[in-house]
Amino acid sequence: MAFTPKTAPFRGKINAVTLGAGDKAIVIGGQNVMPFYTFDAPIENVPKIGVEISDLAGEWTAPALKEFYAGCVTMADYAKKAQTMPGADFLCLHFESADPNGANRSVAECVADAKAVAEAVTMPIVIMGCKNLEKDGELFSKIAEALQGKNILVLSARSEDYKTVGASVALAYGQKVGAETADDINLAKQLNIMLKGLSINPENIVMNIGTAAVGYGYEYVASTLDRVRLAALEQSDADLQMPIIAPVSTDTWGVKESTATEEDEPAWGCAEERAIEMEVSTAAANLTGGADAVIMRHPAAVATISKFITELV
Amino acid sequence: MALKGLDIFKLSPRKNCKECGSPTCMAFCMKVAQGSVSIDKCPYFSDDAKAMLNEQTAPPMKTIAVGEHKLGGETVLYRHEKTLVNKNLYAVAVSTDMTAEEADKKLSDLQKVDYERIGERMYVEFVFVSNTQADPAVYAELVKKAAATGRCLILECWDVECAKAALAAAGKNVILDGATPDNWEAMNAAAKEAGVVLGVYAENISDLYDTVKKLEAAGNKDLVLDVTGKTAKETLANAVLVRRTAIKDGDRSFGYPSIVNLARLAKGDDRLQTAYASMFTEKYASIIVMENMTYAQALPLYGLRQNIYTDPQKPMKVESKIYPLNGADENSPCALTVDFALTYFLVSGELERSNQPVNLIITDASGMSVLTAWAAGKFSSSTVKKTFEELDIENKIKNRTLIIPGKVAVMKGEIQEKLPGWNVVVGPLEAVQLPKYMKDKEYEAAAKAAQAEAAAKAAAAPKEEVKELSFEELLATKVPEIKVVDMGVKYKGHNPESKTFVTIGERIHCISPVIRKAMDERDPEPILKRAAEQIAAGATYLDVNIGPAEKDGPERMMWAVKLLQENFNNVPLALDTANKKAIEAGIKVYNRTNGKPIVNSADAGSRISNIDLAAANDAIVIALCSADGIAKDNEERMKHCHNMLERGLSLGMASDDLWFDPLFLVVKGMQDKQMDVLNAIKLFSDEGLKSTGGLSNNSNGAPKAVRPIMDSALVAMAMMQGLTSAIVNPCDLRLMETIKSCDIFKNHVLYSDSYLDL
Repeated sequence: MAFTPKTAPFRGKINAVTLGAGDKAIVIGGQNVMPFYTFDAPIENVPKIGVEISDLAGEWTAPALKEFYAGCVTMADYAKKAQTMPGADFLCLHFESADPNGANRSVAECVADAKAVAEAVTMPIVIMGCKNLEKDGELFSKIAEALQGKNILVLSARSEDYKTVGASVALAYGQKVGAETADDINLAKQLNIMLKGLSINPENIVMNIGTAAVGYGYEYVASTLDRVRLAALEQSDADLQMPIIAPVSTDTWGVKESTATEEDEPAWGCAEERAIEMEVSTAAANLTGGADAVIMRHPAAVATISKFITELV
Repeated sequence: MALKGLDIFKLSPRKNCKECGSPTCMAFCMKVAQGSVSIDKCPYFSDDAKAMLNEQTAPPMKTIAVGEHKLGGETVLYRHEKTLVNKNLYAVAVSTDMTAEEADKKLSDLQKVDYERIGERMYVEFVFVSNTQADPAVYAELVKKAAATGRCLILECWDVECAKAALAAAGKNVILDGATPDNWEAMNAAAKEAGVVLGVYAENISDLYDTVKKLEAAGNKDLVLDVTGKTAKETLANAVLVRRTAIKDGDRSFGYPSIVNLARLAKGDDRLQTAYASMFTEKYASIIVMENMTYAQALPLYGLRQNIYTDPQKPMKVESKIYPLNGADENSPCALTVDFALTYFLVSGELERSNQPVNLIITDASGMSVLTAWAAGKFSSSTVKKTFEELDIENKIKNRTLIIPGKVAVMKGEIQEKLPGWNVVVGPLEAVQLPKYMKDKEYEAAAKAAQAEAAAKAAAAPKEEVKELSFEELLATKVPEIKVVDMGVKYKGHNPESKTFVTIGERIHCISPVIRKAMDERDPEPILKRAAEQIAAGATYLDVNIGPAEKDGPERMMWAVKLLQENFNNVPLALDTANKKAIEAGIKVYNRTNGKPIVNSADAGSRISNIDLAAANDAIVIALCSADGIAKDNEERMKHCHNMLERGLSLGMASDDLWFDPLFLVVKGMQDKQMDVLNAIKLFSDEGLKSTGGLSNNSNGAPKAVRPIMDSALVAMAMMQGLTSAIVNPCDLRLMETIKSCDIFKNHVLYSDSYLDL
């Protein structure tokens, strides 16, 4: 009795969303199988890797990371360099310093940075805010306006501010909008419904369903990814068929495994290697669960995940 | 082989004849499933049924034991469906290809990673010993060295003579990863003779399947499958297809644990192996073979594994103990929080960021978050005191400042009282505020204030000998006289024999600030107002929640019971508090005209003794079918149910006086478990048991306008399944009308056009 595996794609399909414009534009989503289940059906668009560039990147201390960006001063310098990173598909500008409880940089300065980057690079651009709702609202709107035509993705609209962010970013300036929720499938669905209710085309929505570094409550992320993907594919739930983007580096570089110095933890060995492996593991776990794009920081981690993706599709 | 109690029950005679010694057929079947009773004790089980049981109840995937480790045994493809059972284990590879020095170094390095994380030992469980040559002595030599590490071994060897030599050198805790389509007969004989698990490998999945079939036919089901393919892509396909075929399609020939060998797929690339290992942790490897396991790899990989293999319904807990942070010693201040792992990580992380020495004290709160634990009575001044005693903190720490979470500021006074000599300070509401709070040393001023306050209190009220008063004395001296006020509502009475649905009004609850204040001040008005509303809306019973009431529980409860019963024609009550003395006191003054008092509530875990309390006082008890966390399936729910039923019956209770609560779950978050709850009610009902529960929990967090609709739909479905009571908000008109209508269809109430007005 020979074994014949039962393989088949699902009826449901993830939306294909285009980011960026011109030659370097990318498409995420589009598949009708679980992540990397190429034996069920070929995968249309391979998962993509974004490189995080923070306006606080000058404070990064990992030696090889610093070495990679040696000589970079402005955000545009960093972006130009990041564009050369093997495996990079898009850039993520992280405006951490806009935080009113931190450096509180002005919106005008941040917009100027974003514009300078957009003029210097051709890769698609993703914008990440400072997590302060009020400041992000203004920042997102101004950047979306300044970068019209670049087809950027703005992270993110949340249930508290989806109306203003959705209306300005997606409706007024024609950019892509991220829908951010925290490990809650019901909220994720509801937020997509609300965004669609504003007349935003589903093809302009990408989801961030919640993040965590592995070891730090990642089980909630893993199960939300599983459930969102199964709902989208198995149940053909159109309100969860948006592709998923997972910011990885912002979590992984903050945990003890990455930050503890060798003096703190002599047995653990090189701190930079630990940060790289933490990033690699978290990114791979997210991709295995269903992320269509990950945002990462270290060139070595990006190279590894790029190889990982190539080997699997 | 674990049999499922409920599957056995389906084939049981369902006579409840008690000839087997168990009170019901269900109870008997549960015992059979647990292995404590033989199925032959029942004279009425047919032989056919017994044979069918063995066939039907074999699990889809075998559990294979190697040494102290268990592999496989999974029942679902995704952890949210139930839980994953046996975590994937790690092996590091050595080979006869290596020089002796290389192999020695690997064997020594792999033992360096060995640490504990949230109560779990993290280390490389296996050594994978690969044979690539033909001399048995050479291979046996390497195997002997590997065995000296004390770890279990996987012997990758396709040469039968080498395998035999290796087995002789290896001992018992071994997987012989050696069967192929060509050599399976000889390898099978070798594995059987040595009494070890046999690993099976083939070039493709179809040959693998055929070889397993042949081995099964030869009587060997002690197998693991090496699913490593030529590429990572092929390996993932193999791993998924094998597991999917076993679990989804029920083909047990692929129902074995699997090995994935990354040393073969990503040779020389540690980082890529980490990426693959992360994937195979989620997608179905039972053993992952690595070239190395450095700390840089282990930290994320073991962390991920611990997350993925956490039971979704049992929160991860950290050990209750003192965690000195940033070089804290006995002179550093203390901060207190609960044992929920996420809370611990968040709080300890932020405290570490403050760079201030502090002793973080973790108290046992059953793995709940701060507020949930507080509401459930698992985080109270008593539990804190217990922790302080158990950990001997008085003597271990000299500093007397104790920072408590801002969210439980209400506990400050009580903790201060229970821990004399300590200066209790309320910390920030959120963990992110901790670095600033600690750096600014805000707690120092607060601790001084607390100390001054305590001193003033002590001066004002010199210590008097507190004598424990009897209920009669308390009643005479501490319970204010009850005034009967005309609220314009009369309780219409209740016949305890009636079959109509029993609603227990939930609105007198200390979680409401108005009620909490009224209880504290013995102010009748707000309590009578809520009682009147609920009685007017048709509530059968009223629940009286007086809060944890650690201090003055008995007099509080006596007052509340008398207040409500004297004002409302002896309305029957459910007494709801974690304080047992208070329940006892309440029952002492309770009038039974309209029904027995209800003890709210017992469970199958730490609160099981509330059944004894109910039995001793001839009361009804609400019996939550849970112990440590929510039951993972109906198998477990029914196990708890029967534990409690047996305890009640053995204490002389009537089974009608145990009302089983399946624990209604919130749809937002546990949508896929709703039918389980409804089916549990059917199981209670089939055994003639009564049931109840906090039904409106299902719609928690849903919009206000939607909740009555969800609650009504659920109550109708639940009544169809046989639910006999529920704890509800009787002021929800739609819900109450639905219940009345269901009582009509169930023929519990005779129909008339005005049935809704009755």
